[in-house]
Amino acid sequence: MRRHIEFITERIVAPDVSAVTLETGAQVEFKGIVRGMENGRVIAGLQYEAYVAMAEVHVGRMIEELGRRWPCHAVWFIHRLGWVPVGEVSLYVRAEASHREGAFRFCIELIDLLKKDAPIWKAAV
Amino acid sequence: MKVLAFATARERAGFSEIEIEVDPVETPRGIMGRVAPGLGVESFRAAVDFEYWDWDAAVGAAREMAIIPPVSGG
Repeated sequence: MRRHIEFITERIVAPDVSAVTLETGAQVEFKGIVRGMENGRVIAGLQYEAYVAMAEVHVGRMIEELGRRWPCHAVWFIHRLGWVPVGEVSLYVRAEASHREGAFRFCIELIDLLKKDAPIWKAAV
Repeated sequence: MKVLAFATARERAGFSEIEIEVDPVETPRGIMGRVAPGLGVESFRAAVDFEYWDWDAAVGAAREMAIIPPVSGG
């Protein structure tokens, strides 16, 4: 499985590359967008920080483990850090697999695991 | 050993990164008792060399420890 894990402070742009092969039947793309409301109050954006060295290890492991349950040909994971204004993308995940169920499940479960164990934090501003 | 504190843990501990001498038999709980007494670690997790770690397990020859508040990525 080809995988790409990245933490960046610039605006996220969907990678203009693909690993589509003759066996690829599904490409699922998820963009997490900063909402303008947080716990009932209007916010300007979110300030993100991460323990990047540890997050890379754990996100990599999550991708490997999920890949055994939901085999994918390629996975992209990009998390933005620092200041992210309302309406902009904070998280980008793309999974390419043979079938749609595996690609959808991979994205959903990766984000669930991320929110549980990846050392990343946000604060509303 | 390098000790890191993130997010709310950094605010409560009063540092983001410090370098200290550590005995291999020391535990994350004991180390935090030394460097940030009164912090109270119950709401945090410990990580040692990038792995989540029991607060009461010896750190051994680890080079880096971190205090991990509840995470909220995504």
